[in-house]
Amino acid sequence: MHEMALMGEVIDIIKEDAASKRIIKIDMVELLVGEISNAMPDALKMAFEVYKEQNAYFFEKNARIFIQIEKALAECILCSKSYVPDNNRISFCPVCGLPSGKIISGESFQILSYEGSGDADESNVAHRCADQ
Amino acid sequence: MLMKVTLRTDVLTNNNKAADYNRELFTTTKTLVINLMSSPGAGKTTLLEETVSVLSRKYRIAVIEGDLATEKDADRIRKAGAKAVQINTHGGCHLDARMIAAVLPEFDLEEVDVLFIENVGNLVCPSGYDLGQMHKVAVLSVPEGNDKIPKYPVMFMRTELVLLNKIDLLPYLDFNVEKAKRDLEGINLSSKLIPVSAKSKEGLLDWFNWIEEAYKTCQQ
Repeated sequence: MHEMALMGEVIDIIKEDAASKRIIKIDMVELLVGEISNAMPDALKMAFEVYKEQNAYFFEKNARIFIQIEKALAECILCSKSYVPDNNRISFCPVCGLPSGKIISGESFQILSYEGSGDADESNVAHRCADQ
Repeated sequence: MLMKVTLRTDVLTNNNKAADYNRELFTTTKTLVINLMSSPGAGKTTLLEETVSVLSRKYRIAVIEGDLATEKDADRIRKAGAKAVQINTHGGCHLDARMIAAVLPEFDLEEVDVLFIENVGNLVCPSGYDLGQMHKVAVLSVPEGNDKIPKYPVMFMRTELVLLNKIDLLPYLDFNVEKAKRDLEGINLSSKLIPVSAKSKEGLLDWFNWIEEAYKTCQQ
């Protein structure tokens, strides 16, 4: 169960990037998780909820996580056909019947984007209050 | 106002930076570094004890041991005759590159020819973490059964050698070595498989020859 550690990396990267953009509260995180990246989407979602609670100052109460799945795909080095790899026989090209396939997609594990609000909003709020 | 930031950053980017740092150090000092991974109980430490006791006549060997708790494995390696540093992950299921970078100052890498990193026993989590090693080697043992290669494809997809350990038990168990070779070929065409027994010493010479070749390549 390394999803807690992986989600820790996600939070660290977003915190660092957000600080550089003066974003102080996160509302949404979007990940890309490959089918053969060895990370489980459900466990990642659970880990996100744990970190959200621990870092309440940094996350909106209703902050959401979206996980896009990257499908596994392999390509045969002999016939150049791409195919969906069978888990047990990843490198077997179904056309050639030989272990001549290489994974070309499905190993990714990326933070695609995040959404948050910054310092500026507080002054907006202050203005609105003053207007009323 | 909500702002959307597009990152497209690899989640393991900080680990990978540390791995690159480690790799640069290892390349500079021409230290052969091997990351050894397996399930708990496959025999990594026993294999390393045998490897250290034979190869330390020829190479200056050091070992980094990864475990959740205790100094037991590092003690065993020290008794076998190599310098060993223990990392305790306190519940963490894998070693990462920053943990390795943090203990490297304890070694004089100029004086180390071969450094083994014995990862935490686990066939899932360690597979994703680059430590800066030159080679990833998996240990699979006969009592674990034939189904482990197809069941844990990501590990065996990313290793270049499988040491099939405990082959002294083959007469008593239903393990089929040829099937294991075929399963491995189906997942990773370029991976080798060397059958060994750390106990009967069978096959160990093939493993030592593999290390010798890797060491030569590393010196070029």
